[in-house]
Amino acid sequence: MNLSAYIAEAFAVLVANRVRSILTALGLVIGVTAVIAIQVLGASMSGAVGGVLGSLSERTFFVVPNQRQADFTRAAIRLEDLQRLRFDVPNVIDAIPGGQTVREARIGHSRRRLGVGAQSDERFASETPLIAGRKLTPEDIALARHVCVISGEAAQKLQITGAQVGSSLRVGDHRYTIVGILDRSRAGRLPSLANFDISIPYTLYEREYARGRAIIAARVLVDDTSKIAQTESDTLAWLAALKKGRVEYQTFDRKSFSKAVDGIFAGVTLVVGLIGAVSLVVAGIGILNIMLVSVAERTREIGLRKAIGATRFQILLQFFIEALALSAFGCTVGLVLGVLIGALVNDLAIVKLSGIVAPIPWLRSIAIATGFATIVTLVFGTYPAWRAATLDPIEALRYE
Amino acid sequence: MNSAATAIDVRDVTKTYVLGDVKVEALRGVTFTIARGEYVAIMGPSGSGKSTLMNLLGCLDVPTTGRYLLDGIDVSTLGDDALAAIRLRKLGFVFQGFNLLARTSAVKNVALPLFYAGIGVKARGATATERLREVGLGDRLDHKPAELSGGQQQRVAIARALVNDPAVLLADEPTGNLDSTTSEELMALFGDLNAGGRTIIMVTHDEGVASHARRIIRLRDGRIVDDRPTAPN
Repeated sequence: MNLSAYIAEAFAVLVANRVRSILTALGLVIGVTAVIAIQVLGASMSGAVGGVLGSLSERTFFVVPNQRQADFTRAAIRLEDLQRLRFDVPNVIDAIPGGQTVREARIGHSRRRLGVGAQSDERFASETPLIAGRKLTPEDIALARHVCVISGEAAQKLQITGAQVGSSLRVGDHRYTIVGILDRSRAGRLPSLANFDISIPYTLYEREYARGRAIIAARVLVDDTSKIAQTESDTLAWLAALKKGRVEYQTFDRKSFSKAVDGIFAGVTLVVGLIGAVSLVVAGIGILNIMLVSVAERTREIGLRKAIGATRFQILLQFFIEALALSAFGCTVGLVLGVLIGALVNDLAIVKLSGIVAPIPWLRSIAIATGFATIVTLVFGTYPAWRAATLDPIEALRYE
Repeated sequence: MNSAATAIDVRDVTKTYVLGDVKVEALRGVTFTIARGEYVAIMGPSGSGKSTLMNLLGCLDVPTTGRYLLDGIDVSTLGDDALAAIRLRKLGFVFQGFNLLARTSAVKNVALPLFYAGIGVKARGATATERLREVGLGDRLDHKPAELSGGQQQRVAIARALVNDPAVLLADEPTGNLDSTTSEELMALFGDLNAGGRTIIMVTHDEGVASHARRIIRLRDGRIVDDRPTAPN
């Protein structure tokens, strides 16, 4: 059917009207670029946050007072109460106060301000593996030993190697023996939620940093992860009874965090994606407009083509392919720009800042953008082509 | 009458246009035949129906009543695409305003009907080149219309009209945009084509141009008022 001749003709027309072709395609370029770049960035950022959440153990959840209530001061939980939780609520193995503070840590010539956090034994710690030594033990906790586990990131900052397990680390006015060094977490350069720079037994933390201060947040370890939701609601009920309903608490686990974060990113991606989609529809209207102009300008040409024997379908094809060619041009430029911008921002911003390389759904992003642009072109390119095809040759030949 | 020798057979054809509430009878019953190899001029004042007749003969429109046989085929009841196929294979058009594609070279303009006939690019170029040589433009193959004189443009249009080897060549005021010298040259070309066996039907209001034809059909108010051979030149 000489399709290549139609395509060559279409591009010849576009080149002949290059300024308006480029201006019309620009709408499509912007739309396609936006849709691809947004999806890449959404995946990249959500991957980065996912990396942070990945540092949480699936077996723990957080309990914090509901931030919106008026009287926040009543929210404090006593350590003795917290320790009773494991006897009162089924599936709870242990509950520890959440606590983190910043101190200067020194070893050799290295000194850094780092986070010191209350940690329990290794059941509480994340799945992040050790590169040297051991995690905290129940004895460390029970005896409130002056020991610590260093995160992979903190070890790098302090230039501590595996050989230094057993050395003494100065933290503020205290000295702790390094018993273990963790591997770097999946959270990359972002702050980890479960791995403190320096983890010490929570009993020690209570004594040295939180003396007399109220416990606001707690971490709870469960036995059976499949029942974590039930355990969370049981814990909230237990706290409501303890506080006689005067304080509201809420719980977070890895799943609900992820869900919340994924929800936010999905929402943002959807909204921005919709804006991109709207810009594609606007671009489609631009194509519709310029194709109608093109048909009107070439009314006599259409009349001639029909007079010498072109069928309606052949005329339809000519103008339809012209719209497609315009769209293909805009789409291709948009694809290249979208992938370039997506890759650049992903590499220069997200990966460089967070250290997390998230899987990017390139193909899906490209498919969505091109698919939508194609639908828009099919919808808006058909009408002008149909108009051209159904022109009366006598009228068209008479057209001035 | 031997139908094989008849190019055009128009029987009692009428054409009525409805413009709002007004009925305009453009043709009120026209009957004539044109044999193969004839060279006919259709004349008449404006409003006589000659444009309507030309559109019907050119299969751009169908009669309201009556029959029209082109090269033995009844085209009076055909649909759009069937008419397009008839125009493609049986008819060649030459217009007053040439109607060449401006961006396109002479040879590609001439090849356009072959493109719609589905002929390959090489054969298109060869046939179009040959036709351009026949109308004396063998050295202007790659010129665009703007680079050609009016007479040359009309020759390109004639080559295009002949490229599918049509049964009938239809010319609508072919000299309307040309000066008298060029008109004479074009009429000489038409004469040569007719001498070579081409059937030519030409609509004109110019008696001088019409006198080159061998038969003149005169219309007035939608009817044939006169149909006779011209005096031999």
